[in-house]
Amino acid sequence: MTTLAQRLLAPGALTVLYQPIVRLNADGVQLFALECLTRGPHATNAARADVMFDYVRFMRLEPVVDRVCVSTALAAAATLPGSPNLTVNVHATTIGRDPRFPAFLGAVAAEHGIALSRLTIEIVEHTHYEDGPAFAQALQCIRSLGPRIALDDVGLGHSNYRRMLDADADFLKIDRYLVHGAGSDPHRRAVVESIAQLARRLGAQAIAEGVETADDLHSLKDSGIDLAQGYLLGRPMTADELRTSGWLSRNSHCSVA
Amino acid sequence: MPHILVVDDEQSILFALEDYFSARGCTVDCARELEEAQALLSNIRYDLVLCDLRLSGLHSVEGLDLVSFIRERCPRTRVVVLTAYGSQEIQGEARRRGVDAFLHKSTPFAEVASVAMRTLESPA
Repeated sequence: MTTLAQRLLAPGALTVLYQPIVRLNADGVQLFALECLTRGPHATNAARADVMFDYVRFMRLEPVVDRVCVSTALAAAATLPGSPNLTVNVHATTIGRDPRFPAFLGAVAAEHGIALSRLTIEIVEHTHYEDGPAFAQALQCIRSLGPRIALDDVGLGHSNYRRMLDADADFLKIDRYLVHGAGSDPHRRAVVESIAQLARRLGAQAIAEGVETADDLHSLKDSGIDLAQGYLLGRPMTADELRTSGWLSRNSHCSVA
Repeated sequence: MPHILVVDDEQSILFALEDYFSARGCTVDCARELEEAQALLSNIRYDLVLCDLRLSGLHSVEGLDLVSFIRERCPRTRVVVLTAYGSQEIQGEARRRGVDAFLHKSTPFAEVASVAMRTLESPA
């Protein structure tokens, strides 16, 4: 029997989509970075990203699959024009338990001609994980190589205050659950504002995820958040769609309602 | 119509059950491993799970672990176990963990469907 894991890890099985993370300007938005989103093989349960990564976590395959995802993402991104900044997702368990991951990251970036300063590592975590010293050392090592660090899904689950302190992140990505509806819900907006303020106090920048409405976008601007991501601003795209979208042209600007 | 998850490590059984229930208007997803089923159940709400007791060889009873997972995470989802090997002891353990029905794998699909529908209609 071929397991789903074997199908995931087969050469060429994974594909990558890119979703713009944008800087909000007075007159529109500008591409800040592309989040690389890995998808599993078509016509398998892993074609759904949420199912694929839950499967990976149930199988405890995070370090193996994270390496394949990063490798696939950087190989695909190497063909994109304009040298955009890139973000890639890596589990905290991988960073804490795979001492060779920073060296792997450096090697795979070099292999594909991608400057490490273009990279941001988005730390994701869905299970309780504690290994303070190893995690901190590995993170320091990654940072020394050049990539910046983002903490994903802030406000939910295990992306908590302790993780904020341990990660010392450059970016705090505010989870879509908090962002969606912030334009009309004063309680959500209060939480979003508090995370944005906390990010500033920690020397980080807040990125709002899951922006889908103009109301939410205006609310974010009013809260002093100038980095955002979501369907309103740009859906995940294949490399070909991205090339024809205009996002990769120099200083690309778009206006948003 | 019901959304059903079929879990079995034998692909021929999976395909047959998928076709049978799909032809009767059900939405059917399939999984061949415990962890694959757990990942689906973590993200999709199913009305019914039809699962084999043994998912990776002759000596495991991973289906029991799946039953426990479903009872803990998806209390409204009904569970029918299909197996070729279930001893009285294992059947008792399966019922203790919250299985709604226990059928031998040689049971005709029409009867499996009948039991599945009765299970879905009975109060949780």
